[in-house]
Amino acid sequence: MTVDHAKPAAVGADRPAVKRAPAPKARRRSDRDGKWWTPWFFLAPALILFVYFKFIPMITAVTMSFQDVQPYLGNQWVGGENYSTVLGDEAFHSAIWHTVVIAVGQTVGSMVIGLALALLMEGQSKRLKFLRSAAFLPVVVPIAVVAELWRIMYHPTEDGMLNSILGMVGLGPSGFINDPDTSMISVIITGIWRGAPYDMMIFLAGLAGIDRGLYEAATVDGASRWRKILHVTLPGLRSVFSILFVLAAIRGLRVFTEVFLLTNGGPNGSTEVAMTLIYKLGLEQNRLGVGAAGAVLLFLATLVLTLFVQVLRRRRDA
Amino acid sequence: MRKSRWIGVGLTVSALVLSGCSAGPAGTNVAQDTKAPLELWTRTTPGGAGEQATKRLAEAFEKATGFKVQVTAIFDDFETKLAQRAAQRDLPDIVMNDVTQVGTLKSQGLVREVEPGKIKHASELTEQALKSNQTPDGKLYGLPYSAQASALLIRKDWREKLGKAVPQSWAELADLAKAFTTGDPDGNGKNDTAGLTATLSTKRGYASWYFSNFLWAGGGDFITETGGGKYKPSMSTPESVAAVQWFRDLGCKDNVIQPGSVTMPTPATNETFEAGKAGMYVVGPYLLPRFDKSLGKDKYEVVPMPAGAKNADVLAEGLSIYMMAGSPNQAGQDAFGDFAISTDGQKIGMEGESAFIVQLPVNKNVDITQVRSDPRWKTYADIYAKSGHYAPSIPNWTPVRQDTADTVSALVADCKLDTKAELSKLDTKLTATLQQQGISAS
Repeated sequence: MTVDHAKPAAVGADRPAVKRAPAPKARRRSDRDGKWWTPWFFLAPALILFVYFKFIPMITAVTMSFQDVQPYLGNQWVGGENYSTVLGDEAFHSAIWHTVVIAVGQTVGSMVIGLALALLMEGQSKRLKFLRSAAFLPVVVPIAVVAELWRIMYHPTEDGMLNSILGMVGLGPSGFINDPDTSMISVIITGIWRGAPYDMMIFLAGLAGIDRGLYEAATVDGASRWRKILHVTLPGLRSVFSILFVLAAIRGLRVFTEVFLLTNGGPNGSTEVAMTLIYKLGLEQNRLGVGAAGAVLLFLATLVLTLFVQVLRRRRDA
Repeated sequence: MRKSRWIGVGLTVSALVLSGCSAGPAGTNVAQDTKAPLELWTRTTPGGAGEQATKRLAEAFEKATGFKVQVTAIFDDFETKLAQRAAQRDLPDIVMNDVTQVGTLKSQGLVREVEPGKIKHASELTEQALKSNQTPDGKLYGLPYSAQASALLIRKDWREKLGKAVPQSWAELADLAKAFTTGDPDGNGKNDTAGLTATLSTKRGYASWYFSNFLWAGGGDFITETGGGKYKPSMSTPESVAAVQWFRDLGCKDNVIQPGSVTMPTPATNETFEAGKAGMYVVGPYLLPRFDKSLGKDKYEVVPMPAGAKNADVLAEGLSIYMMAGSPNQAGQDAFGDFAISTDGQKIGMEGESAFIVQLPVNKNVDITQVRSDPRWKTYADIYAKSGHYAPSIPNWTPVRQDTADTVSALVADCKLDTKAELSKLDTKLTATLQQQGISAS
């Protein structure tokens, strides 16, 4: 890790000692500066798109979750029946559990490896820029390509790519995604491979914001590299951790494409997650109401998790 | 005040947009316009031979009748995309897809009833094909335009090299599969071939689709009709259990099914056979042109599946023309269906060495040997006529297929599972599905 290249950010040191100007004053200045509708005018295109493509479908999904959806026969209001169907379904319970396992596995794995990569690749050297770009590639590769690539790597015979490597150290061959015992970890590894470089970039941005003076002080105090990471780097990255945690957890809860393409929830339902189950119920079995109920429940879980993390952050910051 | 005014405006606009979006069901009472172009969706690879053949049929239809048709080919997630269009209440006018979709489409109100009186060539349809499109109430909600059944494709060069005969029983089939797996039939000195290639992914219920070739011949069934349009689950009957056990042993004991089969949908399975990684494949005739090109016509042979404990029944399938609800041009829909099943339409659909959409004709007046000189097509036609077994016509076959696919795939993927217990659990699920559809005998 290099500690002598970044400009001193002096986080906190330049913070003004006085509080901000009172709100009423700011509002008066704003009124003087332009018409009240100017910001709304600039926001309008985005708002219209959000309303049409995000919020209306969301409200429609909530409505559908209380209906037996049959567009050409007329939707029937069924109250909470769809919710009781979903909540009483054993497959949904295991799908939720699998979703949590994948979310936790991918979140923790991506953050640990992303942080390790960031610490290794921090710096201004041109070579590092090349390495960082190379490491970031999995994020920009389309997920369908990623899934196909890993499907090939996970080939379950001795001559499969990963099995050849396992064979060299006297292990395997593993069934990977074809074996219910190893399918979950295989999907998690694929997600980590794709998610870690993304986390790495956020960590790199966070590392650039840590006060270099703290490292110098730690060096003067005779701290080892590990101690510097533990007592300077990690506390300095606290806000990055919480942002990444929320982003990764949401990404984990909504995991779909790699599972759908790699295993379609199998084998034997061992990788069935909430999204693949919702997809099957809603779009493959044409039970759109039941699928919508599952989607609303997933949305609520994501919302609760996000709010929970925000509350924790505020308490800690307070 | 200003903030609350904006919130009020926003809510009003949202309510107006929402109410506009959720206006009453489109239904089938749409103003008719015989000049409206027909939007046709077909489940085939975009840009592929199937799309070319459909366009050829559409052009001939336009020439013969004056109606206009726009062809769209979609392969991946076809049903999903159709469901999305249904949710928008803007369905294509015509859909060409599997016959097993008939129950789902009808129960969702997405197709309109076909009135045989308006289809003058309907009387020329074979009874087998016509029946496959009827719903339990005897009404016709799709028009068959192509049929097919499964046959056994064998690597002839491998079989001859190992000195084996064409299998005549399931025991001989298993024996040949073992020989292909352990006998290095490709002579590369590596243990890298499998006896049988199987599509056992749960996607689209493929595992159930594939396994039906073994289930029915073994005397088992997915569900059994008890009379009066009522059904009971049958996956845990002794016959079904024996068929599942026999098939499962191919994967779990003999290890003759290709590795990775439980996560392989059809494209990957096809590649396994054509790449010389497996020696046998139970499949329909639509892959012959592809394998002729990639593998070589002389390398493999097409034979009927050997009989199981009960008979030699194999999966019969068909493709149907669905006249979708809400079309402004019902006359055009009828005319297209009528043209596609006519002698001319069927022959146009069968033209070409690879770009064809009619596998086996459904019109009694079309003799396959007159259209295709390749004797392998006659083999398929004979299998279809003698041993073709369609999935039963129930309100919605999709959940039955998916549930059975999940269990069959699971039993091959996890050899520790108890076959009888898993099939009993499956029957419980099937009972719930049948009850949900109002056709359960219990």
